[in-house]
Parts: sequence; C-alpha cells; structure tokens
Amino acid sequence: MTPPAIETDGLSKQYGETVALDALNMTVAQGEVYGFLGPNGAGKSTTINLLMDYIKPTSGTARVLGHDPWNDVVACHQRVGICPDRFETYESLSARRHLELVIDTKRADDDPRALLERVGLVDAIERPAGEFSQGMEQRLALAMSLVGQPDLLILDEPFTGLDPHGVALVRDVVEAESERGATVFFSSHVLGQVDLVCDRVGILYEGDLIVEGTLPALRDTCDLSSDATVEDIFMILTDGSARATEVDA
Amino acid sequence: MALPRWFPLARKEAVALLKSKGTWILAPLLVVWGYGPTYISWDLLGPDVTVGFVQVAGSILLPLCVLLLTYRSIIQERTSGSLKFLLGLPLTRTDILIGKVVGRSVGAVLPFALSAVVLGVIGGVKFGLFSPLRFIGVFLVTVLYIAVLVSIATAASAVTTSTVRVTAVLFGGFFLLLTLGWKIVGVRLYSAVTGNAVNPLSPPADGLLFAILRFSPGRAYRTVTNWILGLANSGGQYTSVATVLYPGHSVNEYVVDAAFSGQPVPAYLHESIALVVLLLWGVIPLALARYRFNRGDLA
Repeated sequence: MTPPAIETDGLSKQYGETVALDALNMTVAQGEVYGFLGPNGAGKSTTINLLMDYIKPTSGTARVLGHDPWNDVVACHQRVGICPDRFETYESLSARRHLELVIDTKRADDDPRALLERVGLVDAIERPAGEFSQGMEQRLALAMSLVGQPDLLILDEPFTGLDPHGVALVRDVVEAESERGATVFFSSHVLGQVDLVCDRVGILYEGDLIVEGTLPALRDTCDLSSDATVEDIFMILTDGSARATEVDA
Repeated sequence: MALPRWFPLARKEAVALLKSKGTWILAPLLVVWGYGPTYISWDLLGPDVTVGFVQVAGSILLPLCVLLLTYRSIIQERTSGSLKFLLGLPLTRTDILIGKVVGRSVGAVLPFALSAVVLGVIGGVKFGLFSPLRFIGVFLVTVLYIAVLVSIATAASAVTTSTVRVTAVLFGGFFLLLTLGWKIVGVRLYSAVTGNAVNPLSPPADGLLFAILRFSPGRAYRTVTNWILGLANSGGQYTSVATVLYPGHSVNEYVVDAAFSGQPVPAYLHESIALVVLLLWGVIPLALARYRFNRGDLA
C-alpha cells in the first residue's frame, strides 16, 4: 500500500508565545491535487516550511511520501519538487545554471531547455536571473520544481506575481503533472484561482485546519449553490469562530 | 565513483564567485601587496625571497578579501530566500555547509594562484631561480589557509541571523583582533595572565608567550611558511623575522630562535604544531556552526 503523499499528526509550530500552527492533522493522498487555502498568516507557509525542513516543529509528527521530513531529507527531497514562496533567485547565474544546479543535485537527466519551454522562459535561458522580473523568477522557480519528475510537487503561493497568462500556465502545469501521476500540493490565499484545479481543498484559519473536502461537498455543508466559489465557502466558515469541520470527500 | 551530492552546489558557488569582478581584482592587488624584497631578506634567503613574496601576499590582504568574499554566503541566501532552493534539494544541511566551503575556497584560490604565478615569474626573473619545492610548499599552505578562512566565515555566516552581526564578529573580532592586531593583543593577554611585562625588542624565553601568539590563524600560517622557507621559528612576516636574525639589527617581532638562544625550546612550539592550529581553525568553528545550523529554523 502506498503511503499518503503528506500526513501530519498534531503538527505544531510556536515562536515564543505565538502559535503559528496548532496541531495540524492532515492527510493528502498520492495522486491528488490538494489546494491548501487560507488568508495570509493562517499558517500555510509555516506548514510548508515544516514539510520542507526549512524549520523544525515544536511538536507533532509528519510523513512526506512515507519519509521523515526532518531526518530523512535526502531520500525525501529526491522525490519532492518545491516552488517556494518569498524567494530570490541567484542574480549572477543564468536560468540554465539554476536548472543545472537542481538537475545535477537530483542526478536527473532533464534538459534545461525543455523545462524552460514548459514555463515559457526558454528565450531567457542564458540571461542572468538578476535581470528577471518577478513573474519570470516565479516561472524559473516553477521549472526548477519540475526537475526529476517529482512524485510530490509543493507549490507555495504559485500565483504570486504572475499575469493572467502566468496563472493559466501554472494551472496547465498542475494539470499535466497530475496526469503524469504526481501529487500536487499548493497553497494560495487567492481563493478564486483554485476552483478549477483542485481535487480537494483544506482551509487553514488562524493556525487551524477548519475544513477539508471536495468543493461540491463543501458547498453542501455550507448550504451554498453549485456556483458558489471557494471564497464564498471561506467567508461563511470564518464568519464567527473557527470551528473544526470534517467533510466526507 | 559518483560525485558527492554537494558537488553541484560547490560548482555553483565557485562559478558565482569567479563571475564577479571583485574576485579577480584580488589577483593584481595581491601581486602589488606581496612584492617587496628587502636587502636583509635577500641576503639571508637569496632567490627564495620570491617564496617570501607569496607569504606576504597570503597575509593581511588575502584574509581580508577572503572574508569579504565569503562572509555573506549563507546569511544572504537566508535573507533573500534563495536558501529555500538549496534546502529543498536532496542535500543534508551539512552537505550545504561543505558545498559552500569547498566552492568558495576554489573560487578564492584561483585568483590567489594567478597572483602567485605572477609573483613567481617576476621574482624568478629578478632574483634568480628559487627552490620550486619551497614555492609549492608555501603555495599549498596558503591554499590551506584560504580554505580555513572560508570555513570560519561560512561558519559565522551559517549561525548568524543578521548580516550586521556577522560583519562585526568577522571583521571587528576575527580580522582586527585575531589576525591584524594579534601581536599587540596576544602580548597584552600574556602580560595580563602572567604579570610579566614584555619588551618587544627582546622578548622573554617563555613558551606561553609564543603559544598565545601562535593561536592566531594568521601567525600560525606564517609560522608554517617561515618553516618551509627555512628561516626561523616565528609567526612574523619573513622580512621582519630576517631582520631579527640579522646581526646588528632589531625589530619588534617574536622569533623563538632569538628569544630562546641556546635554551631548550618546548616541544609545543615546534612549527608542525602551528600546522595543527591552522587545521583546527578550519574544523572547530565549522563543526560548532554545523551543530546549530542542523537544528535551527532557516526560514
């Protein structure tokens, strides 16, 4: 039996008195496209930072593709592609050099040109990333995350800084990766953009996962019509106190 | 055999350094800084003064520039967020430290190697053929010294949370006190501990004084290179050491052979121990930094 792509149990992170993430229990099955939603500061980035071993948990456990994300980093990251949030690229290095770093470290055999073609950046392959716009940096990071055909693709706020073409491109990439069989886990605070791509969404609010399920199931729970958006669901659920709701998918 | 996992990172670090103009400005600066024959050192060393040029090139200016080329290597990536790419790769955090140290060392060694070749050619033409073994020996110890400095700066860069702090520690503490000013600071420390006043022109035959002086990586480096030069047991610049040894001359430099003239010298003052000191500077700060870097939050 294949282990879940992501599984957390009581995963918590505190900075002094501040609770950034409060006992998160979440399971993402292999092969699904999971939208991890919530407003800024809800704990989405904290969760991804924990899963990627950027930070260490205060308590709780997690498994990523069956690996311990903090003690088995090499085996884990070999199968994970990450497009981080709030990053800068290496200004003196070309797009090609960026991809070569990832390809060679992962010992993959991807062609940098082909990857850049997928994200519409092939014309800038030899240009230093210091000359890139924010949108181009985002596309480069997306290309880097695709190296080595990862089993799990983690995209942290992938729509940030992208024009409508870029947004459509991210959707296409997510669809293609999902068809290939990869699990896609992405976070977004721009709720409107996730309806089309997600199999399932989880809404994080003030460090708590307040609801999780498919969009139709969530609409039912909230007594909303079939054209209601994630935004509507979110407004209803966060109006008043955050309550834990489990929705059957 | 497969390349180590950190090899692509090391290559990226070296390439980034070698692509910046600042790195290559180092080469001509080191030539100008290193070239400086004196009558006394020529009299004592003959054509091997050229080997001494490499030692001078390796002192003061080189450590300063190597620190400048390295001190932001990790904190900058942490602040900018590009560290998220490295941490997301199949690398342990220790791999990241090793890749940084190896890559930046290579990036800093190449301009130094260029300047050493130029100094060798100039010196060889002007002062005749020097001992190639001594030249290579001093060259290799300088390469080791560069790696040690990169390791120290990387360690500081890995544990700090602010660029200001790492700048203060490395340039105010490590460079100013321990590298540039250690002859003064170390002797004051000795006097404070023992209560003995030190006349710099005629230092006491006390092993502790020389051991304290040798604690500085810069002086340890010069002790080893003076040893290779066959000059004397001292952490001073070869021109000063030569002056101390020269009859009828004196200068405020600490030379074991002169201070202990005839008396037995403690075994721990042997030059090979200075090599060990240098190696420990390369290993211990990085090991301590690794301990913290492996456990901390990096985003």
